[in-house]
Amino acid sequence: MSVGLVDVLIAEDNTADAELVQVALEQNDRSFRFHLVRDGEEALDFLLSRGWYSERRYQDAPRLILLDIRLPKINGLEVLRVLRHDPRTRLLPVVLLTSSTLEEGVALGYHPGANSYIQKPTDFQLFRQIVHHLARYWLEFNEPPPLGGRVMDSW
Amino acid sequence: MNPSIRVLLVEDNPGDARLIRVALHEWTGGSCVVDVADHLAGALLRLEAGGIDILLLDLGLPDSQGPDTFAAVQRKGAGLPIILVTGTGDEEIALELIRRGAQDYIVKGKIDAQLLGRSMRYAIERANIMNENRRLNETLERRVIDRTRQLEAANRELETFTYSVSHDLRAPLRHIDGFARLVRERAGDTLDPTSRHYMDSIHEGTQQMGQLIDDLLHLAQVGRQVVRMGRTKLDTIVQEALAGLDQEPEKREIRWTLGPMPEIECDAGLMRIVFMNLLSNAVKYTRPRRQAHIEVAAELIRGRTVLYVRDNGVGFKMKYADKLFGAFQRLHRADEFEGTGIGLATVQRIVHKHGGEIWAESDTDQGATFYFTIGEGRERPDVTT
Repeated sequence: MSVGLVDVLIAEDNTADAELVQVALEQNDRSFRFHLVRDGEEALDFLLSRGWYSERRYQDAPRLILLDIRLPKINGLEVLRVLRHDPRTRLLPVVLLTSSTLEEGVALGYHPGANSYIQKPTDFQLFRQIVHHLARYWLEFNEPPPLGGRVMDSW
Repeated sequence: MNPSIRVLLVEDNPGDARLIRVALHEWTGGSCVVDVADHLAGALLRLEAGGIDILLLDLGLPDSQGPDTFAAVQRKGAGLPIILVTGTGDEEIALELIRRGAQDYIVKGKIDAQLLGRSMRYAIERANIMNENRRLNETLERRVIDRTRQLEAANRELETFTYSVSHDLRAPLRHIDGFARLVRERAGDTLDPTSRHYMDSIHEGTQQMGQLIDDLLHLAQVGRQVVRMGRTKLDTIVQEALAGLDQEPEKREIRWTLGPMPEIECDAGLMRIVFMNLLSNAVKYTRPRRQAHIEVAAELIRGRTVLYVRDNGVGFKMKYADKLFGAFQRLHRADEFEGTGIGLATVQRIVHKHGGEIWAESDTDQGATFYFTIGEGRERPDVTT
């Protein structure tokens, strides 16, 4: 297990939601470096090292992306679709977060290739438990995909 | 008859043309104008110029024969009445063309002024009516298309609206609950009992509202959903509904009596929602009973299959029975029995979508029975309201 800071990207336009996600994540015994992006365009710029983030090395990809579906400019599903089509980001673990309980949304979320689909409950205690398990799974148990695109070349 | 009817006589035989012309003049007393064309091309040209009220058409022309002649003229004449002029023995063809829209036929050699006149008058009237009908149909069709487009737009809007409600109303609830919880945790032991109680109330409020939003969305979804009819074993549906019931925290004994259920034509998914609502209501309202008894069965009443869910719970006064199925309508105080008052509204909506009826019988403390029927063998696919 790696020591040090774990990078997590939170794509969320609502600051209150972003804050609650961070609080919930911090209950895990890890030290996080949170990157907050506020719309779909910024999320893509960040992950694909474009625009404002052109200096960023895409190899410094976050270990986990928490992607709200309802993002301004480019919505979460569209962001996910772009990520899955780009060899540099195709394997990044993306957890979709949604408020909706509408079932059709779930199918729409998995279609472009979400790793997980979480409906944010109104009960904060429950939400904390979910985030706790989520973080343990993706940041501790799960072996992260190799980054840098080398694996992709052999495909 | 109107003074000046304009007749286009399409006839290549000058003798026949003359006979018809004479008959026409005899009938109208000379007040009808007759144009003669002796081949198809000429007739089509004349039609193009317009002003013709009725056509008398010989099918055998130098440049066209039989049904083709009729088809060409009909296409150009768009709605003009056509009377066929046939030779003896051509009745078969004439009848076939009447099926395709010719108004009548007269047989050469048997032309009689009175007959021709009556035939023409009827032909013109019939053609007018048919044209009017066609026009009305077209208008109607256009209106249906317009209305359908409007409905589709409204539906899309409603869908967007529902989606927004589901997201945007829930988000602030999460924040209220989350931050209230965090305040409480930060305060720890310094928070006095009253303040802790307030914090609990905030939490309960958010959860209730969350449930309300979910139920409302559900009701709206059921309203929009298209009914997908299929042969369905109700036994299975009831079993599935039972399995889906929330486990109660406090253990108590519920005696279930499940009667044999029929196999009916219905939407299985929607029927599951019906039973889940009725069964969870029965469980809820028998909570004060030490020995709860819930019965699910079907019986034949006056030839109709009536399904029912009966409990020995707290029941309700029959004078409130008509309020049972209204959305948000509750017959119990929230501190007695929790709920949003949407469940039975949803159930009723589903039953109605199936062309059925639902009603209840009860009395205070005497338990309650909810009866419903499902459209008697009537197929009602694609019911969306």
